[in-house]
Amino acid sequence: MATIRSHARVHRNADDVWKVVGDPTRIVQWFPGVTAVTVEDNIRTLTLAAGLPVFEEIVTLDNRMRRFQYRITGPLPVKYHLGTMDVIEDGEPGCLLLYSTEISPDPMAFVLDGVISEGIQNLARMLNDHTEDER
Amino acid sequence: MGRKILFITTDQMRYDAIGANGGAVARTPNIDSFAANGISYDRAQPQNVVCMPSRATMVTGQNIGTHGVWMNGVPLPVESPSVAAVLRDAGYRTALIGKSHFEPLLDPFLRFEENRQGFAGTTEGHRGFDHMELATHGAAGFTHYSRWIRQNHPEAIGMFFQVLDGDLEVSDVPGGDTGAPQIKHNAVPRDWYHTDWVADRTISWLDGLNSNDDWFCWMSFPDPHHPWDPPESELHRVNWRELDLPVGYPQNQDEREAIIDAKPRHWRLWYDGKLVSNYEAPGKWVPATLTADQIREVNAMAHIENELIDEAIGRVLAAIDAKGWSDDLDIVFTTDHGEFQGDFGFLFKGPYHVDSLMRIPLIWRPAPSAGGGIDATARVSKPVGLLDLAPTFCTIAGLQPPEWMEGRALPLDDADAVARGFERVTTEWDSRQPDGTEIHLRTIMRDNFVCTTYQPGTVHDGTEGELYDLVLDPLQQVNLWDDPERRALRDELLVDLAANFVEPREFRHAEAPV
Repeated sequence: MATIRSHARVHRNADDVWKVVGDPTRIVQWFPGVTAVTVEDNIRTLTLAAGLPVFEEIVTLDNRMRRFQYRITGPLPVKYHLGTMDVIEDGEPGCLLLYSTEISPDPMAFVLDGVISEGIQNLARMLNDHTEDER
Repeated sequence: MGRKILFITTDQMRYDAIGANGGAVARTPNIDSFAANGISYDRAQPQNVVCMPSRATMVTGQNIGTHGVWMNGVPLPVESPSVAAVLRDAGYRTALIGKSHFEPLLDPFLRFEENRQGFAGTTEGHRGFDHMELATHGAAGFTHYSRWIRQNHPEAIGMFFQVLDGDLEVSDVPGGDTGAPQIKHNAVPRDWYHTDWVADRTISWLDGLNSNDDWFCWMSFPDPHHPWDPPESELHRVNWRELDLPVGYPQNQDEREAIIDAKPRHWRLWYDGKLVSNYEAPGKWVPATLTADQIREVNAMAHIENELIDEAIGRVLAAIDAKGWSDDLDIVFTTDHGEFQGDFGFLFKGPYHVDSLMRIPLIWRPAPSAGGGIDATARVSKPVGLLDLAPTFCTIAGLQPPEWMEGRALPLDDADAVARGFERVTTEWDSRQPDGTEIHLRTIMRDNFVCTTYQPGTVHDGTEGELYDLVLDPLQQVNLWDDPERRALRDELLVDLAANFVEPREFRHAEAPV
């Protein structure tokens, strides 16, 4: 089991940031290589740039804690996965975006570490620039 | 009209793979002809013994610490300087055909340009190459070759060895006649195999040039890197049952293990399957289980792949000759790093700085039209590195190497090497695995000694090292690191290493395991 973590500071209040993070369909705005997304009940399906689908189960969507958790269920070769995004109030206005991942097998950590790190920076930039509504 | 440059690389080829360097099995007449009419470098080393760092050094002419690709999976930044851009800006047509690996291959999000071009089938290139058609070791992934296989011969996809297993680990699935890891009898027809594809695409690109164009073509064969799965139609070339075992393989188990035990502890830990130090070998494979017949079969496969490469080179040379370019053609032939191929009882590669991995073939066949001043039959014994290639290409093109290049144009002979101070070459290793395992090596080769110091990591405390006398112990079986009589020499080499080594400024994120 490997664990990885990325973070970014956003100069916006936590409720504004949670509007984006807490909406599972908006991942297409900031996560690299995701070209389409659908959400049905607790199943999120991503389409990657190469046409590959990624199936995910939404585990937690906690508006009070501002926590989003999901699991990759296929077809990436994942034996165990839990992704957690936390939006933590930190200063006025300001918050910390924290993206933690537990994953097995270990090599998948390499694959996700870089793309999540890039994604979290994209997300922070979008929020800091107030461009999240420019679809 | 200037000199054309054909830069030929293989992947994971040993120094002794070719006839010109004493290889007695694979028939490599075309490569040997480069040596017969050119300059052979008998002590050429990569600056790192895995693909991405080594290839980043080739294209930038920089040390690992400068370009920052410190292990496989760390991409070379798109904005990094490139010798191809220098040549293109000077009017050269530029192409890279075959394996690039400046960016991670395992890229399901298509974050990297080379994978995006391979997936889309576009060939506009980047990094100064105005044409790229890419390949790697099979039909998987986002390369132009895998796209070509999928579109034209989809039935061949499953014929190749599947490099990664279900855990995304380098597969240890046994195959062949002996059950050696990463061997497969591959039913793919020869003309669908990536070696011939690389030559075909190179010839096609050359055919599209104007006769008065100057050009730089990096023709980059993915073989003889594992998996060892050449077309089975070619297996008749070398009967593994008739091969001698490598001289670097001590056949007596006690002797072999004693040699390993005299080296820093990660050698024995890997041998016994107690340490996975890096991703470049199957993590589940235990080297201690390797049999003599498996070594023979792996070597046979590598020899076959090298013969196919040589014949593919021959086809490209014929095409160049037909275009009337031969007199103005410089050829540089090398590889990115070596392969154990049975030495010490190991296969593959890793943090092991011995000649199996560090000593590589390098030949420069200057253009016949270049004329005076070049002894076209020299053998250079002084140390050179792959970081010297990019400045050499500039010099061939009549350009001053840019200041950001840290190598120097290759010497023309030993006298030139001495006059220009080719005294040492350095090689480094840094790796960090997801489980936290870290290994760091710094190596200097000079005056016929190889000296490696280990920086603190999770396996070493920073006191370990290796010192070999290449004259008295060419197989590097006697570690002199703790020999009191060699202490002064060791200290002198370490001082020289410290003075000439470029430490990484940062360890950027690995974006994939490979």
